Amino acid sequence: MTIPNMDRRSLLESALLLMGVTVTAGFSTEAFAKAAASPKPFLDQKSFTLLSAIADTIIPKTDTPGAVDAHVPAKFDALLVNWASPEHRVQLAGAITKIDDLAREKQAKGFAELTPDQRKELLSAHDTAALKPVPRTDKLTGMRAMMAGPSVAEPGYAKLKELIVLLYYYSEEALTTELVYEHSPGGWTPSVKATPETRATGGLGMF
Amino acid sequence: MFDAIVVGSGMSGGISAKELCEQGLKVLVIERGRKLVHGESYTDNLQPWEVPNAGMVPEEDLARHYKIQGESFITAATQQYWVKDDENPYITPEGKPFDWIRGYHLGGRSIMWGRQSYRLSPQDFEANAKDGHGSDWPIRYDDLAPWYSHIEKFIGVAGDRDGLPQLPDGEYLPAFALNDGELMFKAAIEKAFPGRKVIAGRTANLSKAQPHHEELGRMSCQARSLCDRGCGYGAYHSSLSSSLPAADRTGNLTIVTDAIVHSLVHDPKTGKVTGVRTIDQNTKAHRTYESKIVFLNASTIGTAQILLNSKSEAMPRGLANSSDMVGRNLMDHLFALSVAGLLPNGPKDSFYHGRRPTGIYIPRFRNVTEPADFLRGFGYQGGVSRMGWRTAIGQPGIGAELKARTRKLGPWFTYISGFGEMLPNPNNRVTLSTTQVDKWGIPVVQVDCAHGPNEQAMTKQILEDGKAMIQAAGASSSRPPPSPARRALASTRWAPPAWARTRRPRCSTSSTRRTT
Repeated sequence: MTIPNMDRRSLLESALLLMGVTVTAGFSTEAFAKAAASPKPFLDQKSFTLLSAIADTIIPKTDTPGAVDAHVPAKFDALLVNWASPEHRVQLAGAITKIDDLAREKQAKGFAELTPDQRKELLSAHDTAALKPVPRTDKLTGMRAMMAGPSVAEPGYAKLKELIVLLYYYSEEALTTELVYEHSPGGWTPSVKATPETRATGGLGMF
Repeated sequence: MFDAIVVGSGMSGGISAKELCEQGLKVLVIERGRKLVHGESYTDNLQPWEVPNAGMVPEEDLARHYKIQGESFITAATQQYWVKDDENPYITPEGKPFDWIRGYHLGGRSIMWGRQSYRLSPQDFEANAKDGHGSDWPIRYDDLAPWYSHIEKFIGVAGDRDGLPQLPDGEYLPAFALNDGELMFKAAIEKAFPGRKVIAGRTANLSKAQPHHEELGRMSCQARSLCDRGCGYGAYHSSLSSSLPAADRTGNLTIVTDAIVHSLVHDPKTGKVTGVRTIDQNTKAHRTYESKIVFLNASTIGTAQILLNSKSEAMPRGLANSSDMVGRNLMDHLFALSVAGLLPNGPKDSFYHGRRPTGIYIPRFRNVTEPADFLRGFGYQGGVSRMGWRTAIGQPGIGAELKARTRKLGPWFTYISGFGEMLPNPNNRVTLSTTQVDKWGIPVVQVDCAHGPNEQAMTKQILEDGKAMIQAAGASSSRPPPSPARRALASTRWAPPAWARTRRPRCSTSSTRRTT
């Protein structure tokens, strides 16, 4: 394991954006493979390719940047080094691998090798099953208990998706295109007119 | 030789220093933690994407250093403010956990407080005498009211004058007004429960800075809701933004940081304290500072620790402890008793702009306008807001549909969190270990504290009343199985997800009962 080189990984992802990208079709298998051919700070080449495919499927490029545009895979990789406990690393790596195993079981191909439509179909079904609520068996305390949602069938996948979503919606790309974020709103206005086009606000806090 | 020494630079230490300096005394403030510089030491300018690790403290750091502090709202942007528990140990009995939330730095916990600022009422000052729990207060509300006003004007408190006897009005800046969801919530609660009121949370943030605030370099709140990182605008009151600068401009203030107070020096001939013994937290060098007066503002437990450790032949149980009362009757409010739910009837065409530093408050009604089968009472802090992008977490859905759904304003969501009064109990006490010392050789604190039947009855009522109010507002709520509660500083800057919680609160620390 090496210290993550975020700049290098971000550059790789920037390069991805120049390869095989369409607004709705996601990234090509070749693009993921090219990204995977570069040095990895934590995940091996195959796993990083797979992670990129998963992130791109969960939050694709649409009329706004997607997870790969926002360098989510590289940031996720850095979290594995700088934030995650050994237990979480194993759990998250297992969740990533499981998606690939499902693809091989159902499509006889790795997840990253599937077409964007095939990836979405497979991951949608997995997402629904994995996030099915189940009774919580662990005991949380303090802010963790205050902030935690209900327990789900596959906590590893839930954490994987949560981190991808968090990293995306905390990104400059998302907060300047997908959501509205003002670091300093300047004051409090208790009532403003909302329309169906009004965008949700983002930020690190709850409000 | 100083005229006065103030031990601790937090909420009360900063104010003590200001008042003494302004009276012309030469004052030394002794702070055990490191120096922080207002503005320069803060992290409030970090954009969301600039905060390390998506704002999360590394899990191994949490496990190793922040087992207790991690129960509060520590983030990667605020990690520097929280004490490392493993380096500053204390002892609790088996099965009686106690969360001591601490910040050892210049400004202390005033950097990380929830800023909710409420006056005690005449009823509160009479409670001990009436129900026999605790000693009768030597003063009544009217004695303290002018001093409430004095402090409110100086620190700046935003709030409405609501005219409620159980929650006296003060000297307020304009309130941070309720949003449309909260106005709907207020109307529903006050209709269903005529004895209950929903008001704007009273908070020590400058909704409109006054000239005397600006003279100290403070500005109006920018509605960023980044208060927990420290505010470069000085828009909330803290020792660094407000009281210590006021003390410093008199020319009478001296500050020493990194100096841990070991004990007080007592002269048995005169019966007076003559100074303070300190240990440098880095070099472990010992030094004694002398003064005519000593103010102990080292936090509830820290102050008791110093008094108990100030033993002498004349005072073998510690200073001012002939009654054996020092360290006893440890109290904090009940907290982290939250109920939450979605409000499907919330106004769909309404939103708000900015991130308020406060929310709503429901003042005490039990044993005021409604009876109770317990003594004293509780209030609720909370808020109503529109859910946003976080609905994408934990919910099924991926792809373009996830993005399309997440960018839209979500439903109105409400939570209220009860804060209840704890009765004094002499068995809830702080003592010093006779066998264990910290790395500076100071006896480690032992905290033995538990809730009694009154607190347990109040906890049950807080949750029942909370659920009834949430439902009266049109929300449905659910509860996970009970689990032990730990300390979460009062704050309206976060909200639990849309399901209610019931937890058994446990003892912990806070500054003052009505100020969190």
